[in-house]
Amino acid sequence: MQTEKFGTKLTIEKSGDMIYFSQLDLASILTRALRRAGLALYYTQGFNPRVKMSFGRALKLGIEGTEEVTIYFTEKISPEGLKQKLLPQMPQGLRII
Amino acid sequence: MIDFRLVQKPQRYIGNEINSIKKSHHGKIPICISYPDLYEIGMSNLGLRLIYGMFNEFEDVACERVFLPGEDLAKILAGNNIKLFSLETKTALDSFEAVGFNLSCELNSVNLLKILKLGGIPLKASERKELIVFAGGIANPEPLAEFVDLFYLGEFEEGIGKFVETFRKYKDKNERLKALSEIDGFYVPQFYNVSISSNRYNFDRLYKPAQFPLKRIYVENLDKSYYPLNWLTPHTQIIHDRVPVEIARGCPNSCTFCQARSIYKPYREKKVSTIYNIAKTIYKNSGYENISLLSLSASDYSKIEELLDVLISEFKDKRVGLSLPSLRIDDTLSSLYRKLLFLKKTSLTVALEAASDGLREKLGKKIDANKLFETAKIIKSLNLRTIKLYLMIGFPEETEEDLFAIASFLEKLQINTGLSINVSINIFVPKPFSLWETKWMCREEILEEKIKLVLGSLKRRRNINVSISQTKRSILEAILSRADRNFSRVIMKVFEACGYGTTEDWQLWQTAIKECGLDYKIYLESSYENFPWSFIDGCKASASQNNRGN
Repeated sequence: MQTEKFGTKLTIEKSGDMIYFSQLDLASILTRALRRAGLALYYTQGFNPRVKMSFGRALKLGIEGTEEVTIYFTEKISPEGLKQKLLPQMPQGLRII
Repeated sequence: MIDFRLVQKPQRYIGNEINSIKKSHHGKIPICISYPDLYEIGMSNLGLRLIYGMFNEFEDVACERVFLPGEDLAKILAGNNIKLFSLETKTALDSFEAVGFNLSCELNSVNLLKILKLGGIPLKASERKELIVFAGGIANPEPLAEFVDLFYLGEFEEGIGKFVETFRKYKDKNERLKALSEIDGFYVPQFYNVSISSNRYNFDRLYKPAQFPLKRIYVENLDKSYYPLNWLTPHTQIIHDRVPVEIARGCPNSCTFCQARSIYKPYREKKVSTIYNIAKTIYKNSGYENISLLSLSASDYSKIEELLDVLISEFKDKRVGLSLPSLRIDDTLSSLYRKLLFLKKTSLTVALEAASDGLREKLGKKIDANKLFETAKIIKSLNLRTIKLYLMIGFPEETEEDLFAIASFLEKLQINTGLSINVSINIFVPKPFSLWETKWMCREEILEEKIKLVLGSLKRRRNINVSISQTKRSILEAILSRADRNFSRVIMKVFEACGYGTTEDWQLWQTAIKECGLDYKIYLESSYENFPWSFIDGCKASASQNNRGN
C-alpha cells in the first residue's frame, strides 16, 4: 500500500510541432516519459490506477507557451533531479524549464 | 506549408513519436510503408511495426511511414498541389524507391489508390517507371493486380532480406521485379497471364523463371524471429492503445469459416522467457501502460498460466495492465480467470460463433456452451461487468432453429449470470483459403430475413445488447476478398467516383460494377472449378538460409 506522496512541480514549454497535441495527449506523453525514466511514481487508487499529477491552466491547442504540472512520487525528488531524469525522455518540442 | 490548425487531429500528421527513426536518405534505399487507413488505426497494426523495424535495421535502408489522411487534409493537399508526405522526414511519396502497403483489410483497397494519388504516384503498375508499389498481408491479391507491382505472400520477415538485397543489386524497376519474382513468396502479377477457359482460371507465366505455383512463406522459428523492441510510442491516442506482444502465431483449432487459421499456418509459439524479455524491454523503451498478449487463440498457448504468473509479478507493481484478447469457456473453470482479475479485465469475451450445438459442431468449433451455465457461479464471483459474445449468421445449412437458438441461449445465459451481455453478430463470408472457401455467400435478401428473425426473437430483452453487421458491407467484403483481376477496374471506378470521401457506400460499388459489365455474384457463388487465388498452393518455410541481409 502506498501511503505518503510527494509532489514536485515542473514547468513545461510546448513549442514547434508539439503545439498540436492536446492536454489529454500531454498527460499521456508525460506519464509514459515518467514510466520510461523508471521513477517511483505515485498511482491513484481505484480500479484504473493512474500516475497522479495535476496540471495548472491548460494551453490551447495550436499555441506555444508554458504550463505547470505537479507530479507525485512515493519518495522525495527535487525539481532539479526530476528534470535531469525526465529530460532525455521528452519528445522534441516539449522542454522542461 | 500546411496550416495544421485547419484540420481535425493534426497529431496524425506530425510524426516525431518516441522511437521513430529519421535517417538521411543519402546513399540509402528510401522506402515508405503504409497501413492504408487513418493514423490511429494504422498505428495499431503490428505487421507494419515489424516491417518498419526490420527495414530500418539495415543501415542502407531508410524506412518511413505514411497513413491515409483525413478527408479534410486530403482536400487541402489535392487543392494546393501538395504531395502527400511521409511522417518521418516529410518527403513526398513519389520520391521513394518503393512504397509498401499492408492490405490485410480488403475494404481498404480504395484507400490504397487515394494514398498513391495524393502522393503523386501513378495508380497503375504499368504507368510507373521507377517506383515499385509492393504489398502484403492480403490473402487473395488478384483484385489489386493492376495497381501493385509486387506482392509478398505470407510472412515478410522471411522475404525482407532478399528484398533489400535485390534493391541493392539492381537499380532498374524491371530488373528488380524479375529478380524478386524468382524468389519464394514474391508475386509479380504482370508476369502472369490469367484467363478463364473450360470453367477454370488458368495461370500462365509470361516471365518463365517466375515462381509457379506460388507458396505462402512462414517463419519457421517464431521464437527467434524479429520483434520491434524499440516500440514506436505515439503521442496521441490510437485505436488499440496498448502494446501487443505476440505469444503465438497461427491457431491449433480448425474452425471451418476461419481464414486467419489458414493464412497463419502452422501454429507456432514463442517461449515464456522470450515473451517475458520482449514485454519487459518494450515497457522500458516505451513506458506503455497496457500490454496485450496477442495470438489468435491466447488460451491455447501451452504455458499460459506460467506466462501469466511471470508477467503479473513483473508488472503488477508498475500498474501495467495486461489483457488477453479471447478466451475459451473452459478457462472460466480453471484458475486462469482468477489470475486475470489482476489484469484489470472487466469483461469476459467468448467467441461462440453459433448458439446451437449442432451448428457449432459443423463449424468445427470445439466449445461446450453448457459450461458457461455450469460456471455461472464462478462468473458471478469474478466481478465482471459484461460478457461479450461473438456469433455469426449466414452459414450454409443454417436452419431456423439455429437462429432461434440465439435468443434462447442469450436469455438463459443472462438469467444464469445476471450480467449484461453484449453480443456481436457477424455475417459469414466464405474467405479464400478457409476450409469453407468453396461455400456460397448467403444471398442478401435471405440474410435480411435471417437478421429480422434474430432481432425479432430478441426484442425487448433488457441487458442483452445486439449489434449485427450490415449485409451490404459483408457482401462487399466478400466480393473484394474473392474477386479476380477484372475487379481492378471496379476499384478504379469507385475511387474516381468517391474522390477522398467514404468508400463504403454500396451504391458507389453497385454503379461501378454495373458500368464495368460485371456480375458480382460469380465471385460469391463459386461459379468456376477453381478460384482467382488458386495459383497460390500451400505454404512452406523459407528454404533460404542467408535471407537476413546485413
